[in-house]
Amino acid sequence: MLRIEHLTKTYGDKKAVDDLSLHILPGEIYGFIGHNGAGKTTTLKSVVGILQFDEGEILIDGKSIRTQPLACKREIAYIPDNPDLYEYMTGIKYLNFVADIFGVSAEDRQARIRDYADRFELTKDLAQPIAAYSHGMKQKLAIISAWLHQPRLILMDEPFVGLDPKASHLLKGMMREICQQGGAIFFSTHVLEVAEKLCDKVAIIKGGKLIRSGTMEEVKGDDSLEDVFLELEGEQC
Amino acid sequence: MLKILLKKQLSEIFRSYFYDAKKNKARSRLATCAYMVFFVVLMVGVLGGLFTYLSLSICRPLAEAGMGWLYFALMGLLAIFLGVFGSVFNTYSSLYLAKDNDLLLSMPVPVNAVMLSRLLGVYLMGLMYSGVVILPAVIVYLVTVSAGAGAIAGAILLPILISLFVLTLSCALGWVVAKISLKLKNKSFITVLISLLFLGGYYFFYFKAQTLLSQLIANAAVYGAKIRGTAYPIYLFGMSGLGDPVGLIAVAIVVLALFALMWALISRSFLKIATSSGKTARKEYRETRTRRHGVSRALLGREMAHFTSSANYMLNCGLGILFLFIGGVALLWKAGDFLPVLETLFSDDPEAVPVLLCAAVCAMCSMNDMTAPSVSLEGKTLWLAQSMPVTPWQVLQAKLRLQWLLSSVPTLFCAVCAGCLVSASPLERALTILLPVCFALFTALLGLTLGLKMPNLTWTSEITPIKQSACVVVTLLAGFLYAGALAVVYFLVGYRLNLSLYLGLFALLTLAASAALYFWIKTRGSRRFATL
Repeated sequence: MLRIEHLTKTYGDKKAVDDLSLHILPGEIYGFIGHNGAGKTTTLKSVVGILQFDEGEILIDGKSIRTQPLACKREIAYIPDNPDLYEYMTGIKYLNFVADIFGVSAEDRQARIRDYADRFELTKDLAQPIAAYSHGMKQKLAIISAWLHQPRLILMDEPFVGLDPKASHLLKGMMREICQQGGAIFFSTHVLEVAEKLCDKVAIIKGGKLIRSGTMEEVKGDDSLEDVFLELEGEQC
Repeated sequence: MLKILLKKQLSEIFRSYFYDAKKNKARSRLATCAYMVFFVVLMVGVLGGLFTYLSLSICRPLAEAGMGWLYFALMGLLAIFLGVFGSVFNTYSSLYLAKDNDLLLSMPVPVNAVMLSRLLGVYLMGLMYSGVVILPAVIVYLVTVSAGAGAIAGAILLPILISLFVLTLSCALGWVVAKISLKLKNKSFITVLISLLFLGGYYFFYFKAQTLLSQLIANAAVYGAKIRGTAYPIYLFGMSGLGDPVGLIAVAIVVLALFALMWALISRSFLKIATSSGKTARKEYRETRTRRHGVSRALLGREMAHFTSSANYMLNCGLGILFLFIGGVALLWKAGDFLPVLETLFSDDPEAVPVLLCAAVCAMCSMNDMTAPSVSLEGKTLWLAQSMPVTPWQVLQAKLRLQWLLSSVPTLFCAVCAGCLVSASPLERALTILLPVCFALFTALLGLTLGLKMPNLTWTSEITPIKQSACVVVTLLAGFLYAGALAVVYFLVGYRLNLSLYLGLFALLTLAASAALYFWIKTRGSRRFATL
């Protein structure tokens, strides 16, 4: 589903991501953890085509994000750490805009908007301008818009920040649904308990380098993910 | 406590002198000084100079006619008008929309102290705007008419009383603005409408001011008697400027009483107002049938939604639309008046008239520059355009199409009006129409090119990319320069050519420049947008 090979991205003299390789298979929820500034967001943004990278290759379903960006972007959805959406639009206008861009039919989008907005209890607020939304509401709208075209791969940067417990629970369920349908999820998080319970695989990044990855059991063994993470952080120091 | 709050309020008011929001860092000492000098020159030199000139024109004639009170009444009312207009929106935002209200109210700070510190900002703003009118007025009176004890007392007390009255009125109107804005729908359009009405009113009075003043001076006694008979408080207000004790006491009592009333009202409602969300009434979503649109239509719709949602964007980058329609109608309506004047002026060279009309249409068209700030306006939402399955060129095309749609139709309308009126051959008429339309295309492309060359994506207020960005200023100036060049080059060398050839050459050059910009945007510009 997603193949990252020797990804390197530099900002000036600083290597934000250094020779990172990861493979994500269909049906997997892949967690991406690391301290602030470790290179998680840079990796995610490179995968979705927002950032141009210096070396390496990113393949989505065998297609390169460099040479076939549109084909890749049609297969994926991205939710950034801060949901900066078009505040001059209402929620429903934004969803229709995203649906138009991804070519979702009128019937499908109507059914999906109804379904997801009801699940997140956002239906009544869809006529409000996004500028009037709280952080949590914007995050819910970003999630609905990401699910709208039924992507095969969803990339999320800290998706649980700002969500209430019910919405967080719902999102976890939706992530599972995508994977059961053959899709995959790649997301970054600082909440290690969530990663431990939710992810099939996990990757730990530090200073732009991948320091450990694999199935949850391979990475943490009998310890907790928190202990392993802190131990690895300590070792690297 | 109050001292700390006042210091905070003052630092907020003068923040822009010390902090560059565009670069998100503190200004250098030199830049701060330069900004302050610029502001003083603008307020004291330009505005103060304007009102000093006005005072000099009417002070002596009115004083000699025994109508000194009418002079102070007029200048005082002007000061109140400018003071209230200049500070009413500041009152609304600083009293009711202050971002730190919640923070301050959660601290052990007395509510009255918070309120007083907020009002100080409003007072300073009102004092500044009313001061640029009333201070020159009293100084001119003291210098040219009398500097007696009464006049000095009036000169000291009148500005103070006016500034207090301005504060009272600003607070009252600010409250009304807050109440209205809670209920308003389509705020941006209403703001545009009100701004345009004000602009229209301003130009109307500006052009009529000389006539009105002459009439007033010539019939001062008649107008004075009428005002004294029907609006006695205005007479007393004017008398206070002369230092008349009765006038001063009466005005002081009324102003202080109104201020006390306003203070009491605001004290009672401040907490409620300050903690209200300021959001419009909640509109509930009802599902309706939706239609699927193509990518280009969706992107154009996004650009249109952004443009129509922002009063600042519409007023600063789309004013030409209105001017072109008004210009076209004015051309048809008043052609009988000014075309003969132009034809007489250029009787030696009648071909200059179509060139000048073309230049005028281009000048109005250059006031449309929606593409210039459009790249910067993506701001923090740029990730959306970059992560969606659309090419950068598609996004940029939508920006171009918005300006082309909004600017070409009014330009064509105005150019057709001009082309129909001039005495010229069909080819010359066609070129008179074609050239401004080519320019409309060129200006859209130029704005987008400069927007891509000089993007600012880290703004905190939308007004920064719309009003204060280099690309907008350069696009505007380049547009005016083009219009100017069209006329100047004609008078320098163009008159030697045939009119059709001159306009045709200019149109050709404009199209060639447009083609070059189009090619740059499509290739390097698109790559640049992808890597922003």
